[in-house]
Amino acid sequence: MLQQILALTWKDLKIFFKDPGAVVLIFLQPFMFIVVMSYALGGLFEPEKGAIHILAVNQDRGSQAAAILQQLDALDAFVVETRWEGQPLTREMAERLIVEGKRNLALIFPPDFSEVLGQIAERHSTRIVFLADPTASAQVVEPIQGTLQGLIERRVFIARMPKGIDFLLDTLAPQMSREQREAFKAQAEQASSGGLVGGDSPVVIVEREAPTGMRVEKYPNTFQQNVPGYTIYGLFWIVSLLTSSVLRERREGTFRRLLAAPMRRATILAGKFLPYYLINLVQLLIMLGASSLLFKMSLGYSPLGLVVVSLAAAAASTGLGVLIAGLARTDSQVGGLTVLLLLTMSALGGCFVPRFIMPDWLKTLGLITPHAWALDAYQDLLVRGYGLREVLPKAGALLIFAAAFFGIGISRFRFD
Amino acid sequence: MSSPIIEVSELVKKYGDRLAVNGVSFQVQEGEIFGLLGPNGAGKTTTLSILSTLLQPDAGKVQINGYDLAQDAERIKPLIGLVPQELALYPTLSAWDNLAFFGRIYGLRGRRLREQIDFVLELVGLRDRAGDAVETFSGGMKRRLNLAAGLIHQPRLLFLDEPTVGVDPQSRNFIFEHIERLKAAGMTILYTTHYMEEAERLCDRVAIMDEGRILALDTPQKLIGLLGGGVIHLAIPSDFISMLLPAIRALPHVQAVSPLDGRIKIETTEARSALLELIQLCHTRDVPILSLEILEPSLESVFLHLTGKHLRD
Ligand SMILES: Nc1ncnc2c1ncn2[C@@H]1O[C@H](COP(=O)(O)OP(=O)(O)OP(=O)(O)O)[C@@H](O)[C@H]1O
Ligand SMILES: [Mg+2]
Repeated sequence: MLQQILALTWKDLKIFFKDPGAVVLIFLQPFMFIVVMSYALGGLFEPEKGAIHILAVNQDRGSQAAAILQQLDALDAFVVETRWEGQPLTREMAERLIVEGKRNLALIFPPDFSEVLGQIAERHSTRIVFLADPTASAQVVEPIQGTLQGLIERRVFIARMPKGIDFLLDTLAPQMSREQREAFKAQAEQASSGGLVGGDSPVVIVEREAPTGMRVEKYPNTFQQNVPGYTIYGLFWIVSLLTSSVLRERREGTFRRLLAAPMRRATILAGKFLPYYLINLVQLLIMLGASSLLFKMSLGYSPLGLVVVSLAAAAASTGLGVLIAGLARTDSQVGGLTVLLLLTMSALGGCFVPRFIMPDWLKTLGLITPHAWALDAYQDLLVRGYGLREVLPKAGALLIFAAAFFGIGISRFRFD
Repeated sequence: MSSPIIEVSELVKKYGDRLAVNGVSFQVQEGEIFGLLGPNGAGKTTTLSILSTLLQPDAGKVQINGYDLAQDAERIKPLIGLVPQELALYPTLSAWDNLAFFGRIYGLRGRRLREQIDFVLELVGLRDRAGDAVETFSGGMKRRLNLAAGLIHQPRLLFLDEPTVGVDPQSRNFIFEHIERLKAAGMTILYTTHYMEEAERLCDRVAIMDEGRILALDTPQKLIGLLGGGVIHLAIPSDFISMLLPAIRALPHVQAVSPLDGRIKIETTEARSALLELIQLCHTRDVPILSLEILEPSLESVFLHLTGKHLRD
């Protein structure tokens, strides 16, 4: 019996690998999605790689503009360029670079920037010019404006402090000696630059952390966001393959030969489904393996968890194939309807758009798809850094899907 | 006579209301080629499907090699090689891979599997195409491979369901030769066809089927003998029929006469002499002959004689 199952399995695997269309559908399609989507959306998820380049033209006679630019550059999200091909940037150069499309943002600090920042009683104003390519989206421009505003305010505080202290002491302690006054100012300056609000080692640090129990080393990168989604999406295409293979055997009459051979029906069914389960597992292995090797995507901390979730997810997807193969009677039923079903389930399950941005009712509806459970389990492992224990319930849910699919599919299965 | 290897009695199979097989009984002896001859829809494939355990009969009993089909299907299956009417092969796989697969599910492996594959490929003359995908084969080559797939496990019983449909005369002869060789090697063959010549040439005994029933069962020679000296169908204007019938019956070479939807069916002891007498008679009585058809003694004529229908429409 085992030999027969193996013979059946080997036969279907051969047929699969001789069909370039099927191989592309199963292995290449999800991979292409991952690559294209990850690079397309790269900047949103991966600050270092997708860092925004800003040209800076610094005409400031003082040191404040340079300090702001340095702080801006120190942020992960931005790269500040004050020179271009060795030359200090001028406004003309910056404008030309934007027109030529080489960069799309530039900041121009005016010559009187430091002076205006340091004034206390006077009411002069000055302007920083923000040159932006009109196609640059608000999502890019607004954070820069906000960040810049914050940095400038801090600079204003630091620049005004010496004069401000003088002004205060003039009114509050006019009797203070010059030496005492200078010592006080020096202390205050040191305290503020190295201390509470600014400086190189700030006291208040805003840092991203994961909720307790989740382990996140850094930000999830684009691939960790996209790989699970498109892997699950690709996984379920096995439904189309399995169904058309069953229909072909019915149509071509090869099932008749199998039925006439000394095999039990259960053996034939096992041999018919096993190859697709194996293809699913290979698919998962390739998707996760390649993502890890090519894109340096982290595979999380629980290899065992990955194995368990993968076995369960493949069972659910092969099971769905058995269900559809059991229900489908004609080729035309299968083609269009399967594609519709797979795309709808993938979308509902959050393979294309994360479920957390969906309205509540849609989120709940998504739970009827095995996709949602599988995706969640993979994200637990790859992105949230959970281990086996946390994903077991989700793997269990996938196995329940699998059992239901297999049960109904087999009970409705017909050989002719 | 030894005990039959196949015994079918009162087999019935319904598809909904349609009686596809309606009380069929026959016996096949070990080593003979037994033909099921009948037009489209006669119930040949249905009968074969029941014998090869693919279909459950609604009534009746089948024994193969002494085993009851209803109870011992698993013992019967390995004895049977089925060559289905429709090609049943995997088109994208090579001929070799197809045969290897069918061999494996019958438990062949290793050297014996390879030997059997080589043997059947040789038998059907496809050895030089073994590595090619079946979809690149011509229709006749696919038929031959279809036959080879049924032979891979050296069955004692071969069920051939119209193996020559769509095959050119040369390939058909080729297949006939194989079948004769297999018979010589001792294989028992159940052969369905709606080609008379095939049944006449190949079969030891033939069952003529129509609408789910067996109308006659015997050796081809004896079946043809049913026609005696041959049958003539004569059509004359209907108002002459009753007038002419007694005169025809009185002709020296005529055995029996009966009206048959607008025509007269004349069974003769010797068709040519009867024909001359008939023409003479019509001439002298001034009866116009509308059509005249001689049924040469053949299974085709036997079928027409038995059913009033032509085998091929
Ligand atoms: N699966 C089926 N469902 C319903 N009716 C069927 C089915 N298979 C066969 N029949 C009917 O049973 C009758 C016998 O069919 P069968 O295929 O046995 O004929 P056959 O003698 O093999 O004809 P052919 O020479 O065309 O192959 C036909 O009337 C056919 O319409
Ligand atoms: Mg048939």
